[in-house]
Amino acid sequence: MDQHNSSGEQLTAKPVATADRIKSIDTIRGVALLGILMMNIPGFGINWDFWYNITHAPHSGKDYYTFATVMVFFEGTMRGLFSMLFGAGMVLFMLNKKDPPLGPTVAEYYYRRLLWLVLFGLFNAFVLLWEGDILFFYGLCGMILFPFRKLKPQWLLVIGLVCIAFTMLKSNIDYQESRDKRNMYNEAVSAVKEKKKLTPEQAAAKTEWTEMEKRQKPDTFYTNENQRKMRSGYPTIFTYFIPQNVGGEVWYMYNGLWDMLCMMFIGMALFLWGFFSNKLRTSTYVMWMLIGYGIGIPVGWMIVDQGYMGAATWGEYVDRWRVGHMVFAEFRRLPLTIGHASLIMLIFRSRLVPGLMKALSNVGQMAFTNYLMQSIICTFFFYGYGWGNYNRLYFHQLYYVVGSVWIFQLLFSSIWLRYFRFGPFEWLWRSLTYWKKQPMRL
Amino acid sequence: MSSSLSPVSDKVPELKHDDHSHNLALDTLRGIAILGLLVISIREFGGFTNNQQNFFGLGPHGGNYKLAYIISFLFEGKMTALLAMVFGAGMLVFMQKKEYPAPLAAPDAYIRHQVWLIIFGVFNAFVLLWPGDILFRFGVMGILLFAFWRMRTRGLLIAAILCTLVYCGKQYWNYADDRGDHKKYSVVIGLEKKFKQDSTDRAKKDSINIEKYTPAQIKLNDSLAKKKDTLTRKQADEKGKWEGITKGLKYDSAAKATENKAMRINSYTKTWNHLLQRSQTKESWWLYQVGIWEMASLMFLGMFLLGIGFFNHGFSSSKYIITAVITLGIGFALAWFRLHYSNLKLFDYGNYIDMQAFPPNQFLPIENILFATGYASLFLLLLRIKWLNWLWQAIAALGRLALTSYIIQTILCTFFFYGYGFGYFGRLTQLQLYFTAAEIWLVQIVFAIFWLRYYSMGPLEWLWRCMVYRRWLPWKIKRTDSPAT
Repeated sequence: MDQHNSSGEQLTAKPVATADRIKSIDTIRGVALLGILMMNIPGFGINWDFWYNITHAPHSGKDYYTFATVMVFFEGTMRGLFSMLFGAGMVLFMLNKKDPPLGPTVAEYYYRRLLWLVLFGLFNAFVLLWEGDILFFYGLCGMILFPFRKLKPQWLLVIGLVCIAFTMLKSNIDYQESRDKRNMYNEAVSAVKEKKKLTPEQAAAKTEWTEMEKRQKPDTFYTNENQRKMRSGYPTIFTYFIPQNVGGEVWYMYNGLWDMLCMMFIGMALFLWGFFSNKLRTSTYVMWMLIGYGIGIPVGWMIVDQGYMGAATWGEYVDRWRVGHMVFAEFRRLPLTIGHASLIMLIFRSRLVPGLMKALSNVGQMAFTNYLMQSIICTFFFYGYGWGNYNRLYFHQLYYVVGSVWIFQLLFSSIWLRYFRFGPFEWLWRSLTYWKKQPMRL
Repeated sequence: MSSSLSPVSDKVPELKHDDHSHNLALDTLRGIAILGLLVISIREFGGFTNNQQNFFGLGPHGGNYKLAYIISFLFEGKMTALLAMVFGAGMLVFMQKKEYPAPLAAPDAYIRHQVWLIIFGVFNAFVLLWPGDILFRFGVMGILLFAFWRMRTRGLLIAAILCTLVYCGKQYWNYADDRGDHKKYSVVIGLEKKFKQDSTDRAKKDSINIEKYTPAQIKLNDSLAKKKDTLTRKQADEKGKWEGITKGLKYDSAAKATENKAMRINSYTKTWNHLLQRSQTKESWWLYQVGIWEMASLMFLGMFLLGIGFFNHGFSSSKYIITAVITLGIGFALAWFRLHYSNLKLFDYGNYIDMQAFPPNQFLPIENILFATGYASLFLLLLRIKWLNWLWQAIAALGRLALTSYIIQTILCTFFFYGYGFGYFGRLTQLQLYFTAAEIWLVQIVFAIFWLRYYSMGPLEWLWRCMVYRRWLPWKIKRTDSPAT
């Protein structure tokens, strides 16, 4: 990474100047930022029974096609891209700065930055009321990445792949546990048919499984309650979300970090190889796009068609498959994410749509602001203290909202960056990190 | 990393034992904390569970109750607190060192230390099977607090106070939640009573002219009455929630038998499965809800105390005496009130909620801080007594082997109590448990003293450093420069 060292040594740790930004990285980040809303919008605007309703309906209609498209082509990949770029950004933050002789080291600024990110995440979840916040976890992940930053890219890749293998293993262990329970249940059922007396274990297994399947079906008691709450005022939603956010953060913090860490490690490796900074040959990008899509799309289709929609009940599904499709979720996500990244790099390089690329890079440069703004806009549009459109739209109609937000953010970012150096929240974040008001106007 | 390490290999000799800052004060306090931890953890190792403690708390207050009371009073939560305080101070000592012993920048060395501490913690919890592991949380907190080490002394004090306040606030918040649940429960119970009254009234009314009805009509009436008189799902949920809360406050003899049986099974995998959930909850839910605030307040306090010279002879003896008297005085009062109110809660939580404005553990965070500070000043004062030097040297030796000693506690206790070892789980009386702890103390201290005669650091400390600096470090003390004892 010689090109970074040539930018000169700085005497004190300072934020990166605008000129040093790598345009291609901003562009990919912009795509990821906009794309992530496709997966988030159901969380903002619709009862969770949509999932059951679509997967258990005939395979036709606008809702089905929208669902299938989003699930096959995008699910997980935009977050994946985001994570990769977060890893890359971490390397970037540490790379071209030298520790000043006096005062806080770069490492300290790095950790301060992440602590603020964690706080912003809490703000996003508990104050802006977005349950699907990722900033909290990114802040924590970043703290783990630090000691790995000087590793060679090969090793980073290996660590990333090990993390993926670990998630697959965990997922498979869970699935096999489910299968064991199902087998117990089946034994109990056939024992009942043969008019045998059930052992206590069999009886317990039988009730456990029945309860579990019952819980998987949407229950109008809870969905109606949820809808009523989401259409109420701020205090109601605020208190309603506290236990949910706490539960989510605890679970993800402890069980879900792998999913982000693996992509971050691989992102660091790809960055060090020059993948994101437009340094590879066109043929390399084409190759990775073909490989990525070649593996990612068919496996993704299999997961959706067979995994989500192949069986009417979980029991039926478990009886049919020795290994669950979800075990391959990460196996699909990595190549598909790389495929997307390669495609964006190719379009970026081809200069086919320079205007769009410029606009996307603006969105990416203000990614933090735009991410929080998505929370602000969507909560206001859907929640009761705003326009209260919660659960009033069909699934496919949600994507009209997505489209509008995209257009707004593309325009807003371009206009804002004409007058200011950073997005407003970026500016706040920097000012807090360096504990000094940063210049904002161009 | 290996490439960046190799050119400076000539610096390695600096990493000898003497860089292991022989801060007698911190080492001694760490040693005391490690020993003290065992007094409480031996309860969980040995099967003196909360359930068992409820049994003594609810029954006539005999000797067993008094013993448990005194031990809880003096040790519970206090030793972790002391350790956290010393950890915070140690972190500052590490970062403030002007010259670093290894070709690794201080932040890197520091963060790597914490990451490996987390890994040791995971090993302790999931391989050695100790759900009460504290290494994990210390490592996590070490990373979270890294960015604060340069803070000014006053800032550290403010941070410590803020974290304590948040922790106290959370205690109150949980209590307020319980109170809300109890209110809902009372409403539902009132409703149920009314249902009962209604149906007896109906039955009375029915019995007056019962001959008017055909049996079919009676049956229909009954079923209608029943339908009307059931709770809605929401009400049933609310009832169940409170019942769940109070269940943990009762003595359950069946639970004791099941737990004993589960822990005495002669199978590592079954014990593993049995304890898995407990360890995970501790490392996730507990850490998120309580641990962060508890640890942060104490670590900040430790950093603050180091800043004002509390640990390094900056205090006069009279200052220590005053600090100890004040902190322990208030701390004892708070502890007495807490245990008193805990007992009231144990007897009838519903009644407690109706009567009391605060939960019993409302001021537990402050109590722990006061005890930790008080104990620290007390021992720092005793450190100045010359003729006790042999004792402090011995305990400081253990403090230098803190990680090793801590892990040895796990190994000895799991092997002694768990089913895949000797299976003494739940077989010892409370008094015997504390004797076991004392014997483990002896073994550990003797081990530490002898070990440090031949090696500059404990085996796990050595492994830890090797992992951090990614090279095999020398650890043997050469005969010639070994201190005469």
